[in-house]
Amino acid sequence: MTFEQIIFYFFSTILISGALGVVLVRNPVYAALFLILSFFTSSAIWLMLEAEFLGITLVLVYVGAVMVLFLFVIMMLDINMDPLREGFVKMMPLAALVAIIIAAEIVLVMASPSFNFDQSVVHAADYSNTKAIGNILYTEYVYPFEIAAVILVVAIIAAIALTLRRRKGVKHQNPSKQIRTKRNDRVRLVKMPSSSTQNRAGE
Amino acid sequence: MENIYLAIPLSALFGSILAGLFGRQLGRMLSHTVTILGVALACVLSLVVFNHIVLDGNTYNGAVYTWAVIEGIQFEIGFLIDNLTAMMMVVVTFVSLMVHIYTIAYMHDDPGYQRFFSYISLFTFSMLMLVMSNNFLQLFFGWEAVGLVSYLLIGFWFKKDTAIFANMKAFLVNRVGDFGFLLGIAAIYVHFGTLDYVEVFKQVPNLLDVTVTVIPGEEWSLMTLIAILLFIGAMGKSAQVPLHVWLPDSMEGPTPISALIHAATMVTAGIFMVSRMSPIFEVSDTALSVVMIIGAITAFFMGLIGIIQNDIKRVVAYSTLSQLGYMTVALGASAYSAGLFHLMTHAFFKALLFLAAGSVIIAMHHEQDIRKMGGLKKYMPITYWTSLIGSLALIGFPGFAGFFSKDSIVESVHASNLAGAEFAYWMVLLGVFVTAFYSFRMFFLVFHGKERMDEHTRSHLKESPLTVTIPLIALAIPSVIAGYFIDPIVVGDFFKGVVFVDPAHTAIAELKEGYHGVFSFMLHGIMAPPFWLAMSGLGLAWYIYLKNDALAHFAYNKFRWMHTILDKKYGMDSFNQVVFAGGAIALGKLLWRVGDRFLIDGLIVNGSAKAVGFFSGILRRIQTGYMYHYAFSMILGVLVILTWFIFGSKG
Amino acid sequence: MTETIMSDISRALPEIFLLVAAFSVLLLDLFLSKSMKIVTFLLAQLSLLTTAWLVYNRMGVESIATSATVNNVESVQYALAFSNMYIKDALSDLLKIAMLLIGSAGFIYTRQYLRDRNMFSGEYYALVLFAILGMMIMVSANSMLLIYLGLELLSLSMYALVALQRNNGRASEAAMKYFVLGAIASGMLLYGMSIIYGLSGHLDLTGIAEYVKSSGMTKAGSFDLGLLLGLSFILVGLGFKLGVAPFHMWIPDVYDGAPTAVTQLIGTIPKLAAFGMVFRLLVEGLGDMQTSWQQILILLAVLSLAIGNIIAIAQTNLKRMLAYSTIAHMGFVAMGILAGSNMGYSATLFYTIVYALTALGGFAVIMMLSRKGYEADQLSDLKGLSQRHPWMAFMMMIILFSMAGVPPTVGFYAKMMVIQSVVDANLAWLAVYAVILSVVGAYYYLRAIKIMYFDKADTETTQAETGHKIGLDSHILLSANGLSLLALGIMPGALMATCVAVINVTMK
Repeated sequence: MTFEQIIFYFFSTILISGALGVVLVRNPVYAALFLILSFFTSSAIWLMLEAEFLGITLVLVYVGAVMVLFLFVIMMLDINMDPLREGFVKMMPLAALVAIIIAAEIVLVMASPSFNFDQSVVHAADYSNTKAIGNILYTEYVYPFEIAAVILVVAIIAAIALTLRRRKGVKHQNPSKQIRTKRNDRVRLVKMPSSSTQNRAGE
Repeated sequence: MENIYLAIPLSALFGSILAGLFGRQLGRMLSHTVTILGVALACVLSLVVFNHIVLDGNTYNGAVYTWAVIEGIQFEIGFLIDNLTAMMMVVVTFVSLMVHIYTIAYMHDDPGYQRFFSYISLFTFSMLMLVMSNNFLQLFFGWEAVGLVSYLLIGFWFKKDTAIFANMKAFLVNRVGDFGFLLGIAAIYVHFGTLDYVEVFKQVPNLLDVTVTVIPGEEWSLMTLIAILLFIGAMGKSAQVPLHVWLPDSMEGPTPISALIHAATMVTAGIFMVSRMSPIFEVSDTALSVVMIIGAITAFFMGLIGIIQNDIKRVVAYSTLSQLGYMTVALGASAYSAGLFHLMTHAFFKALLFLAAGSVIIAMHHEQDIRKMGGLKKYMPITYWTSLIGSLALIGFPGFAGFFSKDSIVESVHASNLAGAEFAYWMVLLGVFVTAFYSFRMFFLVFHGKERMDEHTRSHLKESPLTVTIPLIALAIPSVIAGYFIDPIVVGDFFKGVVFVDPAHTAIAELKEGYHGVFSFMLHGIMAPPFWLAMSGLGLAWYIYLKNDALAHFAYNKFRWMHTILDKKYGMDSFNQVVFAGGAIALGKLLWRVGDRFLIDGLIVNGSAKAVGFFSGILRRIQTGYMYHYAFSMILGVLVILTWFIFGSKG
Repeated sequence: MTETIMSDISRALPEIFLLVAAFSVLLLDLFLSKSMKIVTFLLAQLSLLTTAWLVYNRMGVESIATSATVNNVESVQYALAFSNMYIKDALSDLLKIAMLLIGSAGFIYTRQYLRDRNMFSGEYYALVLFAILGMMIMVSANSMLLIYLGLELLSLSMYALVALQRNNGRASEAAMKYFVLGAIASGMLLYGMSIIYGLSGHLDLTGIAEYVKSSGMTKAGSFDLGLLLGLSFILVGLGFKLGVAPFHMWIPDVYDGAPTAVTQLIGTIPKLAAFGMVFRLLVEGLGDMQTSWQQILILLAVLSLAIGNIIAIAQTNLKRMLAYSTIAHMGFVAMGILAGSNMGYSATLFYTIVYALTALGGFAVIMMLSRKGYEADQLSDLKGLSQRHPWMAFMMMIILFSMAGVPPTVGFYAKMMVIQSVVDANLAWLAVYAVILSVVGAYYYLRAIKIMYFDKADTETTQAETGHKIGLDSHILLSANGLSLLALGIMPGALMATCVAVINVTMK
């Protein structure tokens, strides 16, 4: 076993246990933390594959931004996980059985000759993964890249359309409205007939 | 030209759709305007086509639209336009146009005015599709479509019980014919592998010796079988014995459609079809003999019934049956051109007679009994004179259209050498006498003699309006002159390349040999027995009904048994009613009790419905609404697919 | 370089135009007051029609210019762009035009419905335009990457559309289910694609097809296990998108929960896109593995026909019933594809277009009967429709007949062609099975017709309806829609010939 293989198995063991942890632990915050662990280890594996750019992006974007946001949400919402886990134990054996069979089948396929690659591609020392991506991202892959951008825009539109709402009954100030207000909006002069009051006073 | 061909049926269809779907919005005036314009356009274009095809000598055969392709066989809508088609198109559209115009007055007060116009335009469309077709599929479509419209129109006054009975009868009897027709087409499809006319005719010589076994142990010639099956279809549509029973009853419909559908056009579809299929019929002498004998029986015996009818329309209806018999006889004698010639002249003079009868009916306030008429000559001069022309044409008075066509039929049957030709000859010869007798019996009873109607009717008697008399006059003209086309149509080459005649069948060839111009034909006609038979029929009618009506009573008392037979129409209606209708009802009841109520309703339908409902109730519980159940079913799907691929594909 | 870019842009012009138009609609909408929203509607409508015109106008021209002779046999007509990731051929053109026109018809049908429910907004139209853009990308994809991206663009827009009515709990639930299950399916599809990519080293479908042909078989004569693994996950993704059992579970809940306008959208155009996707992946990419995917599709078709037709009988909700009917119809689509012949693909293409047209009308009737605060989505809401709206009832009858496959409606012809192709593929038992289940299915369509024509309307329904007006445009469109089903049933030749020609040209 080469040194590389030892490192690979080390990280992959952590990756798989981390992924299992995401599914299995009861506490959602722990689950999110396990997910971060999985991201870290998979980024390490990517680094081993000389995909530095992707590995770093994974850490920066997912761990640095997405997961932190995710943790905020989980903590702010304070979801009671117990009802969601109802029947977990009941379903567990069946689910596990199916999962194990599928996993076994995939392993079986992976062990078959089709996945028997002799050697991975080795690059020269000055090879830069980042540069390679930069070279093709806006040339060869410009079309999918733009579409990915459109997908993100749609995600933004969707998020805003689904969440932006003006709640009724919430007391908040609108400064621009306050500034633009005029005297007539606030004060109303009402002419009252004075005779009736005088009559009453006279009685 | 293709566009013109397409425009002809479509303009009729267009008018029909407008009047049918938007009749209420359009109103009466606009409805009849659009339909008449549509048919008038079709008529004018048909004349253009006639000019292009017949006078310039073109033919057209092409597909307009491919409906479907199944196993390499094309199902198409296509047109085959040759002399035969062109002639039929002109006849159909012209008569239809006349009937459209006539209808304005005849149906004036009817609440179903727009509906009626829509139907007759639809009929024109269907009939055109039938005659213009270049394949059996479209032929069958047109065949069924005219049948459907005929059904709708016979029952046009759907609140009248007799009308409903009549249209049901027409429908059922035609079903019998159509069944044979469909079997014939199916046999062609199976053995020829195509439905295109030209393709089929091309293959006929290769299949002459093919035999098929329908009843075990009996080998039948395929061509004879196909020809007879097709002819059964023609028997239904063209009302040949024994499938004729629907036509007299169809007179329950309004008179214009009696003229259009049940005299001039639809009932001749069978004649047209057999002529079109002449390459198939010509190779089977058996089939031709069957055609001839059936036609001869119809021609004579149906004419006899006409003698004792008192309903003006029924007299004309039986006369139609008898004339259709004449045409059929001509087909059997391989004298297709004579038959088709008679088809054309008959279309004109029979439509004329029907419309004249309608005119009388209007004047008589819908009284149809000729015993209550008489002396109408002085009240309705135009109707009188046009009727006279029609009747003379019908009995074959020399110089009138019917003379030429009927004489050529009689002559060609005389010349035919097929089995049964002798019998057919005598039948058609005697038929001439009978025709003359019943035609002029009706004519004298209606227009001459004592005025037997009641006082109220008499005081309102007057000539019909222009929309009625114009079509009468317009139809009277061809009733006189159409006969002179005998030169090109019967003895000339009009149908050369269209109708195929086996050289062994010499009837028409002999006719041609003996023909030396129109006038010698007329001269010869005056010497021949048909003319004298017709004259004696006419004379007898004159003597009995105008001079000495005691004779009628005498004959009635003496030959009451014969009258009874004729009055019962040889018992065919009763037979059908008791045996077929009664039997069918009894069988139906039996099947209903045992088959439907117990087996199908009880076990199969309700049982299976219950079973399906039960399973449905269970299966719907799969849809629990829980997302993890859904996801789990997807995962199970993955499992099954994976397992199948990994373990299934190896073994 | 610039020249390539220009020609790339010119080939993908319809997509680019639609993208720009979608953004314009979104931006312009910000400046419109509530009473002016009709402008948004018109602009969105104009965008679709212009895009359709662009596709139509550029049909053939460029393709023929770059036609190539493959194997010296047939000239294949297609044009590639953007490093061979974008393909423009007869199939993509036909599907795009159909999708855009159906989308445009959908806009007309939904206008009043959206107005009544405060959904008549720029977001709705922009999202629909984006969804259609995603589908156009899918059917024009020559690379697995593009299929996936197009699919995601479509799905994301759809999730948002389903949930757009925020105060509707059922809609939110449906959107949630749709989203989670859709994400699982996307994940599976992506996994399958990545395996295929890993093995073949190709993302583009042509390369994959070559790889499968050259080295897909093991020496024993069976397919490479790795490819089969990839194929199975791809089939899961496709099955979900088509909505065939057992990947159909989302359909009833989403159809039922979503606002009917969105249901109409989900029920029509994505079916065309799904056909395009299946055709690209299975036929163009993995066509040589037909013997393998055929077996799975048989399984899916058998399950779908049974589940769709049988469970539909137990439904009382019209939208749910139509959802199960969709599942059964997609079983037919799977049947046509598994036949694996040009005839089968043409029949399926025909079937899909016809189904989209039929479903369009079906949901339109539900919308036209609904009004503010009342969804006419129960079967009982159809009671006495023939007295209230005779013409609409007649149209609905044609639509239901077409779904059931009763002649002379086009549904019959479509089913017949699919069954014919299955018989030709020596799977007569499957054809018989399909016919039997179609007969079972006819029961619930006919029941709906019976309710329309023979049941008396409730007095409440009649009363509630007074004063409710449906736009003339919807009426005219519905008439055209219904009558076209009849006309196509009588004269299917032209459309069928187009489908056959398109498939023959597209098959390489």
